[in-house]
This record gives sequence, structure tokens and C-alpha cells, in this order.
Amino acid sequence: MAFDRRLLLHINWALLGLAVVLFLCGVLNLYSASGFRLEDGMSVAPYYRKQLLWGLLGMLGMVTFMVIDYRHLKTIAWPLFWITVALLVSIFFAGKTIYGARRWLDLGFMNFQPSELAKISVLVVGARILSREREKLDFLRLGYVLGVGLIPAGLVIRQPDLGSGLSILMLLGGMILFRGVTSRVFKTALVTIPCLLPLGWFFLHDYQKQRILTFLDPTKDPLGSGYHIIQSEIAIGSGRFWGKGFLEGTQSQLRFLPEKHTDFAVAVFGEEWGFVGTMILLALFCFFLYQMVVIARDARGLFGSYLAAGVFFYFFWQILINMGMVLGLMPVVGIPLPFISYGGSATLVNFCLVGLVLNVSMRRFLFK
Amino acid sequence: MSHLYDTDDKHPPKSGLVLLQTLILVLFCLFAMRLWYLQIHKGDEYARKARDNQLRKEFIFAPRGVIRDRSGDLLAVNEPAYALGLVREDCKDIDATLQQVSTWTGADFEELRDLYRKRRRRVKPFEPLILIPDLTFEQLALIEINKLRWPGLEVQVRPRRKYMYGKLLAHILGYVAEANEEEMARDQELALGDYVGKLGLELMLEDQLRGIKGLRQFEVDVNGRRLEDRILKHPRAGHEVSLAIDLGLQKLVMDWLRYEAGAVVVMDADTGQLWALASSPSYDSNDFSSGLTPEQWRKLRDDPMHPMQNRPIQSAYPPGSTFKHVVAGAGLQYGAMDPRETVYCSGSTTLGRHVFRCWKKWGHGRVDLERALVESCDVYFYKLGKKLGVDRMSEFGAAAGFGRPTGINLPHEKAGIMPTRQWKRRRFGEPWQGGDNYNMAIGQGYTLVTPLQMARFYAAMINGGKLMKPVLVKDESPVVQARLPLDGEQVGLLRKTLIETVRNARGTARRLRTRGVIVGGKTGTAQVVRLTDELKAMKDEDIPYKYRDHAWMAATAEKDGRRFAIVAMVEHGLHGGSGAGPVVKAAIDYLFTGKVRKKPQHLIDRALAAQKADGTLPKGDSNGI
Repeated sequence: MAFDRRLLLHINWALLGLAVVLFLCGVLNLYSASGFRLEDGMSVAPYYRKQLLWGLLGMLGMVTFMVIDYRHLKTIAWPLFWITVALLVSIFFAGKTIYGARRWLDLGFMNFQPSELAKISVLVVGARILSREREKLDFLRLGYVLGVGLIPAGLVIRQPDLGSGLSILMLLGGMILFRGVTSRVFKTALVTIPCLLPLGWFFLHDYQKQRILTFLDPTKDPLGSGYHIIQSEIAIGSGRFWGKGFLEGTQSQLRFLPEKHTDFAVAVFGEEWGFVGTMILLALFCFFLYQMVVIARDARGLFGSYLAAGVFFYFFWQILINMGMVLGLMPVVGIPLPFISYGGSATLVNFCLVGLVLNVSMRRFLFK
Repeated sequence: MSHLYDTDDKHPPKSGLVLLQTLILVLFCLFAMRLWYLQIHKGDEYARKARDNQLRKEFIFAPRGVIRDRSGDLLAVNEPAYALGLVREDCKDIDATLQQVSTWTGADFEELRDLYRKRRRRVKPFEPLILIPDLTFEQLALIEINKLRWPGLEVQVRPRRKYMYGKLLAHILGYVAEANEEEMARDQELALGDYVGKLGLELMLEDQLRGIKGLRQFEVDVNGRRLEDRILKHPRAGHEVSLAIDLGLQKLVMDWLRYEAGAVVVMDADTGQLWALASSPSYDSNDFSSGLTPEQWRKLRDDPMHPMQNRPIQSAYPPGSTFKHVVAGAGLQYGAMDPRETVYCSGSTTLGRHVFRCWKKWGHGRVDLERALVESCDVYFYKLGKKLGVDRMSEFGAAAGFGRPTGINLPHEKAGIMPTRQWKRRRFGEPWQGGDNYNMAIGQGYTLVTPLQMARFYAAMINGGKLMKPVLVKDESPVVQARLPLDGEQVGLLRKTLIETVRNARGTARRLRTRGVIVGGKTGTAQVVRLTDELKAMKDEDIPYKYRDHAWMAATAEKDGRRFAIVAMVEHGLHGGSGAGPVVKAAIDYLFTGKVRKKPQHLIDRALAAQKADGTLPKGDSNGI
């Protein structure tokens, strides 16, 4: 199948531009966050350079995801899904342990996290299942969809990577809400989910429980995760309206923060660019998300719509949880902010998913 | 291919699209409000917090558990020490500050800078990097006055180990020093600059003695001055430990070992508790707690008297005649002789072309087992050794605890050597010879024993044959490690001969007689070199120190149900009785009468003269007495 040049006309340039701008904001911010200078050359490794490389690789992935007609994904949805599950299982035998969690597969040139792949697989399979039928979901169908999602999610949570595991489930949950459920299901969920939450408490690791308790009372653990929350609020707040300026963030608060280039990256941003900067960043994210809605609306065929909706939720949850944490509205969960936090696999996946959605938008007028 | 194109012109659910847009709106409003609250509403407050104050934390050091002797006297305590640290982030000019520190303390500027560079990467942000671990009071006063003009400098108080009797117990207590890389890697609790036990009980009981650090959080202003602090976690002191050691007795035996090289072990025969464990010469544990200078270290290492050597457990010597009770035990076990059977000692016996002499030139005449032991007749044992052979002697020796560590809770204990046929083949590639049996039987062969092993065996001869685990900690329960392979009657016989050796006018250990105490004992002499005719012709005091024989005295003492084994080993002490006897006698007197007898001047003079006789050796040590 030759590449149809007309497709280029229909690229959603807004989405592409927003993604690149957000990514560049992130790199700029990493430059500042990791460029902390002490007179004796003590500085964090230059993450921004690595991030740039990952970004370039990501854009390559993005283009790849744009070129091939997305509808082929329908065909390979299930094989891809089972391959992912197999990888997740293999990690228990061949995985690399980093910080006490087996999440990585060593591919020689890079450490690959299959949990990132799992997000894509669940997205595609979910879109395939959900786009098949018209009716709202009743219990039977809902159970089927959730069951499919639970397999990889459970494996990821066992790694243990609660953050990624939950984000898989939340991604699927978002797609289900997008599709709509029968009012009976909705009412039941409204009653049962709050009841199930305390049960989930028993599945949490001790440190995870600790974080939730800390969130409820940050002064309880003022030198642990509570310290992070306090310090990140101080950093952001101290940016005030105009911010302290690029590279001017004293970060004195954040030098204790091991995650200032990853999970708490936006705290550095808020300190240096102030309310103006954070509002612009927030607006960029909202426009970025809105483009997904536009693409979901105009997509040709339900499969594309659900893909776009899935990608919407993929980004939405991360933004909500990460910023909620950094701004002290949520417990500390290790979820990065798309494009802003440092992260190899994550950046790659982010761009690939943007490519996927662009793909859906490009082919919205195709009749063949 | 048709499945690719879902031509169904279905539109995505409207409700879903509305949901997504609502979510975007919620997200925007939520965070916009929160950002406004943080950055605008509370912005000034946060900015001030960021500018003026910082939260910092520091450890509160926990004191190490104190160590006492059996009656509660303090042996190891903690005292405050003042360390000078540098908080890099507060320091305006590192080099100038180091220069100033160098001026105040006399420490070399270059060395300070090296230290700084080496440790810089190891300390967390805002943690003080220790420059001078131990300030004198003069330095402390000087720095406290001028500190404020040099932001970043901080004086830290931490407990330092202090040994009340540095030299007296060094080999038992060991010492503490700063943890090294390896120890820090092994133990997550340890941080740079923490003190850990390196030797002796300080090492072995580290888990009990070490406290748990506390944590304090404090705020500092822009100049690094403290505002308020809050204790987050209280420190917990380490556990106290009481030793079995009796300070008075330890002092006494160390006094008697003045200017000598040797070891003394005093063991409670029923419990294995060590009332004294002395090694001379000694070193001072305190030298290590404030860091040893390279020169001090060199001096300790190169001292020909080896003060770091823990003689009672690390030095293995030929046992000499003290071993005869082991051979006698083997004879009884295997029924190789009737104790009443006599052997004629003419002063020597022959094996092939070799002549084996008794120490008594003109012979003992007819001797049975008891007399052979009491008068230490060599010929009797040559013959008994020939009858038994190496395998049986070695077997009983092993059963008596020789040739393996005793299991005392101290590091680096030596096993000594209990030779066997296989051992000799491995070691020398030669078969076991008949003459080896002869030498072994009088404790002059390949056998090497530590004073502690000897004490344990002698204790077994008076407690009914039990080998007790040597114990240093007072409340440790007694452990019977093994039993001698003899019946009660046979053990009784061995005990009887020991007592007779002291009681009998011809006994070799008669100098130990003590009124009201049942004392037993055996002397021993361990040859250091094969005696040449030249040496034999010399008077004792003319023999060069390093060629003189080692002197053993192994004794037992019982009264009113208290039973002790006392073993002394004096290197190059010439004769068991005169060389090692006096200290054992003094210990017995102390144990049963509480009398402290000082080492008489003539013995001190003799020891000094002995060392002078060999010009190459330095003057020994007064053991801090």
C-alpha cells in the first residue's frame, strides 16, 4: 500500500505542535533542574541531553505510528496483547531488579519496561472490543472488558509497580465511561467501588500505605514523603506570579528531592516560571487533551474514536495524578508528568501514542 | 482486506465526548485554583519560607552501651567529643574556610583539602562534613568564639568511647574506630563517621553495644543559624554488658606480667567464666578511639614484642610437661598401663641410635604414674608414648580440646596443632617416626597449644571431666562442650596427681602451696631452640633472651566449692616454676583471700635484665600499671 500523499493535508498540526512544545518545555525545565551548579562541579547527570535523545527517538516512533494505517491494529490487537502478557510473565524470570522492583527487561542497548507496552496493548484491545457493539455495557460485557484488562494490570502490580498497574486499569475505565454503561451498572458501581476501596488497602505495600497516611497528615513523616509534599509546595508557591526566572530557582528546597527531575519536575517549573508559567503549561495540556476529543469526534469509524479516547485518558490520568501530587492534593504516587518528567520509555510511548492519534485524524476522510 | 475499513458510519457516543470535555474543564479549574492558592494567595509566605528558612535534619548520636566487670566497675564508658564539621552549602569560600581551620587547629591545609575532596561526595546536602574528629578544649573555645564569622562551620557533639583502663583490657575489649567502606556497605545503619567495634568484644558484641541514632529536625535561617528544632526520634543507648572478668584480678596478673611477654588465664572450672584473661605486652584501646596517627600505628605494628598479639588465644606454644596429663589421660582411656605399674628411670632411654634424656640426669629410679607426674619424669612418658602411639595420644588430645578453637567469643582465635600421622605427611611430606612419639609424649613435638585451651583442660581435670566453653560475659549460661573420655575414678586420679605435685616436697609445683586451699599444678618448659652444648653450659642469666625456653605453669585451686584453673605462660621465662609460678601463686592468693600482692622489685629487675641480655630487644612494657 503506497503512502497516500493526501494524508499529509489532514494532519492535526495543532496536536503535533502542542506535543512538541510541551516536550521542549520539559527539556528546558530538565536543563534547569539537573543543571544545579555547586562551585565544585557537583551536578546531577545531564538528564536533559538524554531526554532530548529519547525525544528524537520518540518522534521517530511517532512518524512510524503515523505511516501505517491504524486500522491494521485491529488485526494484530490480540496477538500483541498476548505477546505483552508473555513479556510481563517473563520478567519474573529474566527481569532486572532496580530499586527492589522487577520492572525491566535488559535488551542490551536499553532497559525496556514491558509495563509501558502493556498500556498500548490494553488500549488497542480495549478499543477493539468496545468499538464492536452499539449498546451500552451491561454487566456481562463489562466483566469481559475488565477481565481482559486485569490480566496485564495484575502482573504489573505484582512487580511491584502500583502506579503503572492502576494507570492501565484507569485507562480502560476511562474508555468504558466514554462508551457509556447502563444506568444499572453505573448505580451498582457507585455503591460498590467505595466499598471495595478499604479492601484494596490490604493489597498495598507498607510504603504505599505510609504515603497515603502521610498525605492525610504530612507532618507525620516530615522527612520522608511528607517532606516531599511540603518542599514541593514551598517551591511552587515561592514562584509567585512571575516566577524567579529560568535557572534562577534556588531549588534549595528541592535539592533534597531525589525526584526533582522526574515526578516533581513541575515543581521546578513552577518555581522558575511562576503562576504565569504554570497557567500556560496547564492551558497547553488542556488544549492538547482537547485535540484528542476533536479527533475522537471526527474519526472515521468507532475503532479510531475509541483509540483517541483511550489516548486521552492515558494522558489525562497522568496529568491529574502527577500534578495533584506535586500540588499537594494527592498522596505521593510515582507517576510522571507526560513530556515534562524525565523518563526514557515513557517519552517514547507518549510520542508513539500521539502518532497513533494523529494517524486516526489523518485518515478520517478516507473512503476506499 | 475489507475488515480494515469499518465503513459503518457510526458516530462515537455523544455522552462520551461531553464527558471528555467536562473532564478537561474540571482538570483546568481544579489546578488553576490550586495554583492560584499556592502561588498568589500564599506565594509571599512560601517565598519567605524558601528564602529564609530551611528544614534540615541531623542525627542525634546514641551512646554505646557501657561495659562493666563482674562486680559492676566501669571498664568502658562514653564521653562527649567535639568534632568540627563543614556544611558545604552554607560555606561562602571553601578554601578560605579550610585555611582558617588550619590556622586554628594546626592541621595541615593540604591534608584538610584532600580530606574535604575525598568526603565531599559522600555527605548528603546540608550534612556537616567532618574535618577534625576530635577538638581539644582550647581549639573548641577558639572556634566557638569565632564560628559565626565563618558560615558553614559547625561543632558536633558525639559520644566517644573511653576505656577506663586502656592497657589492662585491650585484648578483651578491643577497640572502636570509624566504619570503613566495607562495613558501611554491609550495614545500612552505618553512616560516614560512625564508630564501630573493630576488635575484641567491641566487635563481637556490636549488635548489643551499638545504640540507635535519633533524629532531630531544625530550621535554619539564611545565615545557617538555627531557629527552632524538634526531636523526631529519640536516640536509644546501646545495651550494657557485664563481663565475667574481675578487675582486681586482671590488674594483679597484668602487674605480674610487667616487662614480660606472656599470657595468664583464670577460669572458673564449673562455669567456664574467665575471671582474668591477660596478654602482655598490651596496647591502649583509647589510642584508637580518637584515630591512630600513622606513626603510632607503625610503632604498634613493628614492635618486636607484638603488643597487638592476643597471646592467650592467638599464640600457640609447645606445651612441655604440662602435656603429660594429656598423655596420662590417653594411657588411662586405652588401658595402656596400670597406674600402679612402675617404670625404671635411669636418666635416659634409647630408641635406635638416639638417646632420649630425662631432665633429671641421674634418673628418678622406679616410678609409677603418680610419681612420674609429680616429679615430671620424662623416661616414664617416653615409654608410655611409645606404647600408646600417635593415634591414641592425638585422639585423646583432640577429646581434651586441643587442636581446635575453644569457641571463645573473641575474633581471630587460633586452633593450635594436635598432630596426627596424616598431618605430618601433609605438612612435611614425611611419615611419622618412633622418635616423634617420644617427643610428643613430653609435649616437645609438633604439638602447639594456646594458654586458653590449657586452662580449659586443667579445669576439666577438677570438675569431673567437663570441657567448659570459655565465657567472657557474666550472664552467659555455662556450656559443656564435651567430656573427657574417662570415668569418674580416672579423672579423680588425674586430679589427685595434680594436687600431689603441689603437696609433695619433690613436686615440681610445690611453690603454689596455699594454706586452706587445695591447689594442684604442673610446670612445663617449652624449648624454643634445640639446646646446643654451648647454651647448656651457660648460666640461666647469660642465655640470650630469645633463646630461653618458654615457661608454663598450669594450676588448679579449690576451696569451699569454688574451683579455678589458672594457667600462666611466660615467653622465654626459662623454668615453669620460677618463670610462670609467681603470677599463678599471686592469683591464687587473690582469689581465696582477696590479698593483692605487688610484683616484688627483684622479679621486675629480673625481667628487665632478661630483656637487656638480648641487646636487640627494646624494654618491654609496664602494662599501664
